[in-house]
This record gives sequence, structure tokens and C-alpha cells, in this order.
Amino acid sequence: MKIEINDLRFIYPTGLEALQGISLIIESGEQVAIVGQNGAGKTTLVRHFNGLLQPTAGSILIGDWDTKITSVAKLASRVGYVFQNPDEQLFSKDVGTEVKFGPRNLGYSKDKTDELVKRALTLTELSDKTETNPYDLSPTWRKMVALASVISMDTPIVIFDEPTTGQDALSIARIAHVIAELRREGKTVVTITHDIDFCAENFERVIALSEGRILLDGVAANIFGQEEVLAQTFVDPPQLTRLGKKLGFKETVRNQEEFLNILRK
Amino acid sequence: MHERLSFFVKRDSALHPLNPLTKIVLALGIILVSIFSPWYWTSHVLLLVVIVPLVFIGKVATEYFTSALRLILPAAGFIFFMQAFFQPIGQTVIFNFWFLDITQESLLFAFRIATRITVMISAFTLFLLTTHPSELMSDLTRRGLPPQFAYVIISTLQILPQMQAKAQTIIAAQRSRGLDTESTFFKRIGSVVPLVSPLVFGSLVEVEERAIAIEARGFTSKKAKTSLYEISDRSSDKFIRWGLVIFVIISIVLKLWLS
Ligand SMILES: Nc1ncnc2c1ncn2[C@@H]1O[C@H](COP(=O)(O)OP(=O)(O)O)[C@@H](O)[C@H]1O
Ligand SMILES: [Mg+2]
Repeated sequence: MKIEINDLRFIYPTGLEALQGISLIIESGEQVAIVGQNGAGKTTLVRHFNGLLQPTAGSILIGDWDTKITSVAKLASRVGYVFQNPDEQLFSKDVGTEVKFGPRNLGYSKDKTDELVKRALTLTELSDKTETNPYDLSPTWRKMVALASVISMDTPIVIFDEPTTGQDALSIARIAHVIAELRREGKTVVTITHDIDFCAENFERVIALSEGRILLDGVAANIFGQEEVLAQTFVDPPQLTRLGKKLGFKETVRNQEEFLNILRK
Repeated sequence: MHERLSFFVKRDSALHPLNPLTKIVLALGIILVSIFSPWYWTSHVLLLVVIVPLVFIGKVATEYFTSALRLILPAAGFIFFMQAFFQPIGQTVIFNFWFLDITQESLLFAFRIATRITVMISAFTLFLLTTHPSELMSDLTRRGLPPQFAYVIISTLQILPQMQAKAQTIIAAQRSRGLDTESTFFKRIGSVVPLVSPLVFGSLVEVEERAIAIEARGFTSKKAKTSLYEISDRSSDKFIRWGLVIFVIISIVLKLWLS
């Protein structure tokens, strides 16, 4: 599903203008990473997608729904949002119930709910933990429960706010796998991330925000090539990109595969 | 970003750098003098000649007068009316309402009590506006207040705004999962568990982490501790404190002597 943002401005009650005119179109089925320094306005931006925040000026369309006149509860059927800290949303006595919460709120039939829950649990490798209390799991697994509890809502758009922060390599690989699977299903995925290597390996399109404005927006390879511009928002290109540059590669490489391809040539 | 619980406003004034204990003694001194002084006009004089000028010296006039309007006026007003109506003294009836008589004497009495209350709240407001709570606690700990007590006060001041922010995030997270927090009463009742349990669990976990963190830094160690901040306590501070103590003693003596 398509996301259309027109000249979005947002001012917090404190008077801080966190978004200063953002226009953006994210096409149906696109995988987008948002990067930028702390306080750039990334979270503020994506909280507009499901109506948690209302624009001070400008508008957001989710498909054909204007977020200004659609309730958060209704938008939840189109936009799934995985918050940064799983502990701020887990409350059930076992994983199964937790993952069922979203689809039940959306009013899906029992059969459909069961099916969606099963799929979400499989995708996040939680199938053997359905009876466990989320608070008995390690933080990395709690993160997977949070992921599963949003994926089970089967929304056409899924947002991840810093999914890899504090996760170990195995967990990051699982998150990458989930995102790849969502892509295969044709979902639109928007991910905020500070993990630039994760960004390079999993996303085609990268948007760099800085102080409430879009600094760069485009194909990952192009974005990572502009080291000086990225530095304005305190983002370093991925390690392999920088290494490639030092080695004098003509093209900007993003991941191991591209790097090795050039070496082999 | 979070609303603060302390009243403190940072200003560059002559009052701010005073030692916190001096400012407490100042507030208590003003209050005690106004209570013990044998003359009814002492409170008015204290208010106009001491507190109001101090408010300007401390550069917290705007904050003082807004809180005066919001807190002091209603409190003093309430006490004024209670006393004016229900104080069974005096014969000079000015005003009669149903079975309640308002006499000149009760009116005067009410006015005095209300001024005294105003003085008390004002003195304390002035103290809170110009003293940072952690500075106060560091200073009191240095003077022998148990650090556990200081910790409870300071952490409460800090935790409440944090919990408020956390509650906001939890509400946002659950609404994103389709939780209806706005429509019917029954739906709202149903949303209590998803909203409250993460808050309670999260806060318990945080309290434990805090406890471990400060313990790891030797919080319960019996050794004398050094402080990161030097809190000045100049001889002028001591002078002011002893001066105030003398004023309080004088007003007590006068009260005993004249009555
Ligand atoms: N609830 C809030 N009230 C006031 N200001 C806020 C609030 N949330 C965030 N901000 C401010 O808005 C700016 C953007 O914040 P945010 O969108 O969280 O940044 P990011 O997610 O890119 O780190 C920051 O300067 C931040 O301090
Ligand atoms: Mg953020």
C-alpha cells in the first residue's frame, strides 16, 4: 500500500518544530530505511503514518485514507508499528495470547486469526515458545514476540523503529529474515535504523533525515556514495563501502556480494 | 521534554547561590516569626517588606505570582471565608446570612489568619523556586541526613515524570495494535490490563536496575563520601541563619512577655 506525504510539518507542544516540511511517496511493496542522527525526527515522522501524531500542517495518505480523518484504531488495520522497546507493549501471560491481541482487535474471524498467529510465530521462530510468559524470555526473544505481535495483524504496511538496537547477530539475522519475507509477500516496509550495515544489506531505498528535513533520498548505493552529505547527519557509510572507496573501487559497494564481485573481476 | 516535578527555576540571582540550608532557614524563620509575633501586622509587613522584595531579588517574580494566583489565593480565600463565617466571636454584626452572622471581629480575625497562611505558602514557594532539589539533598546529606532518605525524595521527583512519559509510549504502542482506548466504556475497561501491566512490570524492572546500579557504586558503603558538586556555604550564609534564629527567639520572647 502506498504512503503519500505532502509538505508535512509538525510542532511539539514544547514549541519544537520536529518536522519542517517533508514530502515523500513510498510506493506499494517498497522497502525503505530511514537513517539520521538522534533527534532528527525519524520517530516523529513514522508516528504520523498510523495517526499517533497529527500533522501541524500538510497531510498523509495511507492508500486512500487521510490520517487526519481516520482513527488510530482503524489505521491499525493498514499500518503495523513495532515500537523500539518490547517491554512497553507486552502484557499477556503467554506468547500465544500476546500475538493474538492485534488480530483480535482488528476483528478477524477465529480461523483467520489462528492462521495469522501461526504464520507470525513460525516466521519469528517462536513456535516452540507459545506457552512461555514473555517476561521469562531473554530481551532478544521478547523483541521477536513484539515483532510477531505486529506481523500477525497482517497489515499491508509495517514499520520498525530501530529493530536491531541491542540485538545480537542471531537476532539481527532473524529480523532480516522477517523483513525479506514481508517483501516477498508484497508488503511495504519502513524501518528506522542506526545500524548502517543492516540497512545496506536489507534495503534498496534509503532516506536520510536531518533536523526535520529530508537530506537525501534515493537508491542505497547512491546515498552511501555521498559521504560528506551523510556526515551532516552523523551517518557513516557501511564499512564495506568505506573499504571499497579506500581500495579505489569506481562503484559504490554496499554489501559482501557486491564487494566480492568487484574483487573477482 | 518531560514535565518537571520540581518548581526550581534556574536564574542568575543573588538568592540562588545561597546555601540550601540558609534558604530553608529563611523560609522557616519567616513562618515562625509570623506565627509568634505578638502584633497582628507582622504578617503583612513580612509579606510586603520581606517576601515580595526577595521574590524580585531572586528573579522569580513571574513564577511566584502565577503560583500565587493558582495556589495561594484559593487556599487563603477558603480559610478567610471559613473563619469569617464560623468564628463565633464579636458583637458588631456587619452582615447576616441565614443563621450565620459575620461580625467585624470575625472578619478581622479571618483576614489575619488568611495573611498568615499566605505568608507561609509564599515563604515556602520562594524557597522551592530558588532551590534545586538535588542541591538541597546533597547539602542535607553532607550535614548528616541519611542518604537513603535523600534517595527516596530525589528518585520520586525523577521517576514520576519518567513514568508519565512511559505511560504515553505504552498507550501509543497499544493503540497501534488496534486497542480502542477512546470509544465505549466497556472497551475502555478492557484496555486497562494492556496499558497497566507493561507500566507496572517496566517500573519494577527499572527500580531493581536502579538499585543494582547505585549499589554497584557503593551506595551503602559506610565510608565518608565525596561529592561531585561543591555546595557553597559562605560565612554570609551562617550570618543570615543565625540572624534568623535570633529574630525567631526575639518574637517568641516578645510573645511570652507581652501576653
Ligand atoms: N514528546 C515530545 N515532546 C517534545 N519534543 C519531543 C517529543 N518527542 C521527541 N521530541 C523532540 O523532537 C525531535 C525529534 O525527535 P524524534 O523524532 O524522537 O527523533 P529520532 O527518532 O530521529 O531520534 C527531538 O529534538 C526530540 O527531542
Ligand atoms: Mg527515535
